[in-house]
Amino acid sequence: MATRTLCSRANRIQTQLQTALQATVLEVEDVSYQHAGHAAVRAMEGGVANETHFNVKIVSPKFEGLNLVRRHRMVYELLSGELQSGLHALSITAKTPAEAANCAT
Amino acid sequence: MAASYLQSVSYCSRAALRPLPLLASSVCRRHLDRYPSGNTTKLNICSAAALSFRPPASTAPRMASIRCFSALTPALKTTLDKVVGSNKVVVFIKGTKDFPQCGFSNTVVQILKSLNVPFETINVLENELLRQGLKEYSNWPTFPQVYLDGEFFGGCDIIVDAYKSGELQEILEKALCS
Repeated sequence: MATRTLCSRANRIQTQLQTALQATVLEVEDVSYQHAGHAAVRAMEGGVANETHFNVKIVSPKFEGLNLVRRHRMVYELLSGELQSGLHALSITAKTPAEAANCAT
Repeated sequence: MAASYLQSVSYCSRAALRPLPLLASSVCRRHLDRYPSGNTTKLNICSAAALSFRPPASTAPRMASIRCFSALTPALKTTLDKVVGSNKVVVFIKGTKDFPQCGFSNTVVQILKSLNVPFETINVLENELLRQGLKEYSNWPTFPQVYLDGEFFGGCDIIVDAYKSGELQEILEKALCS
């Protein structure tokens, strides 16, 4: 069980994003169960929603000066391997530390 | 108009997946029969789309995997350029405007409907080559994909953010009035 947890897609996403973006905040949530009826999931082997849909919230100084499209593209490029191996959708919140602080106040 | 361009790509993309180039050519001729002969644009797209998927010569196996080739052929790129330029608001979604088949696509459709703006939707579930080609065209791996005034704007998250901040409404107003 511990080995499976270490190799889970959520952990891989966490590691890849943390390493590349030096995030001050990084939350990765597997919400595949919410998309169990999705056509793409039904088409998968077993028809079980398994590590297909994730929410990621990232606060990173690497996003400074980048518009949202470029921030999201950066995240997608970092996770291109996952996207080619069953990751179906990502909901991304990408903020700079200043933006996150403004939201918090 | 936008959907009719993509119907022509769709027809010949199915032909291109068949192993016999000769059959693909004959399907193209049948396609020409379905459209007036004066419409050479559709013929050019169909031929180019089908020919671009011919397997490499001689030593390669007849049934070449299409994964070896880029889905974004020059013909498809030309077609997509025309599609995104043909309407101020174009959204590539899973499903249709009336029956979206994905929660994210549905969110974008409902936002645009609530803003009462005219918009065109293209269903990427109808054509796998179109779906993969669009990922390269937009440099964006997921759907929906929203184009405003010919420029890629973003996916569902970006649309929602822009809608909440009011930026989407401003951009739409500017695009539709220009």
